Amino acid sequence: MQAVCYIYLYQPNTTTLNILEVNNVSKSYSAHKALDDVSISIPKQSIFGLLGPNGAGKTTLIRIVNQIIMLDEGEILINGEKLKPEHVKVIGYLPEERGLYKKMKVGEQLMFLAQLKGLSSGEARQRIKKWLDKMSLSEWAGKKVEDLSKGMAQKIQFIATVMHEPELLILDEPFSGFDPVNANLIKDEIFELRDKGATVIFSTHRMESVEQLCDDIAMIDKSKKILDGTKKEIKKSYKSHQYMVDYRGQLAPLSREFSVLESKVLEDDLSQSIIQVKEGQNPNDLLSELITKTEVHGFLEVIPSINDIFIKIVEEEK
Amino acid sequence: MRQIFLVLKREYLIRVKKKSFLLATILTPLLFPAIIFGIAYFATRDSGDSDKEVFILDESGYFQDAFNDSGYDYTYLSGDLETAKTQFQEEGAYGLIHIPVLDLQDASKTSYDNFSLFTKTNPGLQIMEDFEYNLRTALEAIKLEKSGLDPAVINSLKVRIDLDSFNLSDSGEAKESNSQISSAIGYVFGFLIYMFIFVYGSQIMQSVLDEKSSRIVEVIVSSVKPFQLMMGKILGVGAVGFTQLLIWIVLMFTLSAVGISVLGGGAGMEVMADQMPQQVEMTETQEMIGNVQGILANIPVVTILVSFLFYFLGAYFLYGALYAAVGASVDSLQDAQQFMFPIIIPLIAAIVSLSFVLQDPNSSLAVTLSMIPFTSPIIMMARIPFGVPTWQLLLSMVFLVGGFIGTTWVAGRIYRVGILMHGVKVNWKIIAKWFTMKI
Repeated sequence: MQAVCYIYLYQPNTTTLNILEVNNVSKSYSAHKALDDVSISIPKQSIFGLLGPNGAGKTTLIRIVNQIIMLDEGEILINGEKLKPEHVKVIGYLPEERGLYKKMKVGEQLMFLAQLKGLSSGEARQRIKKWLDKMSLSEWAGKKVEDLSKGMAQKIQFIATVMHEPELLILDEPFSGFDPVNANLIKDEIFELRDKGATVIFSTHRMESVEQLCDDIAMIDKSKKILDGTKKEIKKSYKSHQYMVDYRGQLAPLSREFSVLESKVLEDDLSQSIIQVKEGQNPNDLLSELITKTEVHGFLEVIPSINDIFIKIVEEEK
Repeated sequence: MRQIFLVLKREYLIRVKKKSFLLATILTPLLFPAIIFGIAYFATRDSGDSDKEVFILDESGYFQDAFNDSGYDYTYLSGDLETAKTQFQEEGAYGLIHIPVLDLQDASKTSYDNFSLFTKTNPGLQIMEDFEYNLRTALEAIKLEKSGLDPAVINSLKVRIDLDSFNLSDSGEAKESNSQISSAIGYVFGFLIYMFIFVYGSQIMQSVLDEKSSRIVEVIVSSVKPFQLMMGKILGVGAVGFTQLLIWIVLMFTLSAVGISVLGGGAGMEVMADQMPQQVEMTETQEMIGNVQGILANIPVVTILVSFLFYFLGAYFLYGALYAAVGASVDSLQDAQQFMFPIIIPLIAAIVSLSFVLQDPNSSLAVTLSMIPFTSPIIMMARIPFGVPTWQLLLSMVFLVGGFIGTTWVAGRIYRVGILMHGVKVNWKIIAKWFTMKI
């Protein structure tokens, strides 16, 4: 009896650690398989990167989570509960194809969208005011959307996405079309929301754009998940053991453990080489050998970008 | 339900708050009477700005007094046809009537077809009729005289019959009926439904198209089911139409009440009497107007109004869903044309067959069209003022409800896929694929 109770209590505890769980989800459009047995777990209060080229199936997965389309097989859990219509209120979704009613006033539009997400009109009014103040758009509340600049309209779209304080924010290609100033503003807002408890999913094919932001990532290619985990671990496991060395003078022949992959001449008589170190070797071994042979000006480990890792995996699969 | 209501509210408010809505709503009831009075005014006035100059070359010599109606300025010519033609050309008259030498010896001959009218432009039907009337009455008088009959005897032989028609109900109660008034009522209600579907159907389509092209639709369907969005839209636009209709009815009643009290009943009647053919005497006109009120009382007003409400809503929902599906399928209004065609066809078929239906409201064509949900709203509304068996009315209503559930279901399936599709070259095959697609 004791043991059963223990398991019973323990189980929900592990599942609620993940705000979203995608378990073996498949989806086909007539002949085309858009998602093939995809499983992803997204821990609470993390920033998660859903990465992959265009047409990989990211938007399909996101639309399934948003209950815009239905899955064929598998299940989706939100906070450990099977996906149901009420979950719409938990999620804030900024689609890749996004827009606003052009002829509607900003305030009325936000009110409409907030009410659709279940807010009462009084509550919505307060939050609209708060967000418009925060984005310094207060004096535009009575203007029509068609009178706004593109940047302002994007801010309004962002407000519409986060206004109902969703636990899970899903942003599909969030920075496409944002100017750098607005992109930074939105990034700061996203971090703030995360710190307040929200979980953020970025979906993008431009992997470099979210590399610094994400804690965890999953890669999707040709409807299949090809990689997932924390960014730290992935980067660690795809370490190339290469070092970039800037030096003056000649790089005399190195011992067998090190091989020079490429070299080029920089300005001020400096040269730069990329040196491969055998696995298990310490960078200090390389450094101490270099010091005896040349004048070292810079020493840096070459860390693969997420993009490099993606390309590597895709090539390996071939 | 809350979601549908929110969508409905938005659709309703953005339309009702527009200035163009206010203008259309207030101006239309003023515009229609203005047009009708305008037409009546010009019709009662002499046609054309000045009298038309018409030359007459009468080689028979029988028609010297035949032409004296107002609106024309007749000049009799002499000589042969060629000189008359030259004179007509030179003086720029409106027309030249040529009457050849006639042989009236043969009393049994009744058809004369070698009269000619020369004009520079095609004469209107009214002008042809006027001239033919003049020629005919003159020739008839001459033939009458030649036959030796007394005109007074002839006149006494002419009689006039007025057939009073009654509807005999099962209980044996006879009600005075008037097929002209019934036709007018049927036509007006049928046409109202037709207009309403066109105007508000395309508003639904436009609204769907706007949401699709402004790319807001994906945001909306992440909180509202596509079917709820579609229904909210149809209901919202419908509510706008209903509001407009209501305001029109109120305005028209107020206006006519004001009009009658300002003009006074007599003045209005005189205008009507002026337009009546002169053969009808004044007393008969007044008698007729008195009768109209009696007949109106016998028209099934309650049935008409209740049925109108039902068919009006049924037709609107049936077609509204189809319009929504078309809007969801395309990226622009131009692309919508090809899909509009099959929707418009049954509507036009209904309007075209309306006149046949009004001639014989119980013909098999009328009964069939009043059962098919795509045509029944218009056709049944045209039949109801003449009296329709209850079973037919009920059956038609059941079919209409079934029809609108059917089209809404079909449209909903196309809609949910279509709204998320951009830049697809849509054809019927793709629409069929969307319809069967599971999402």
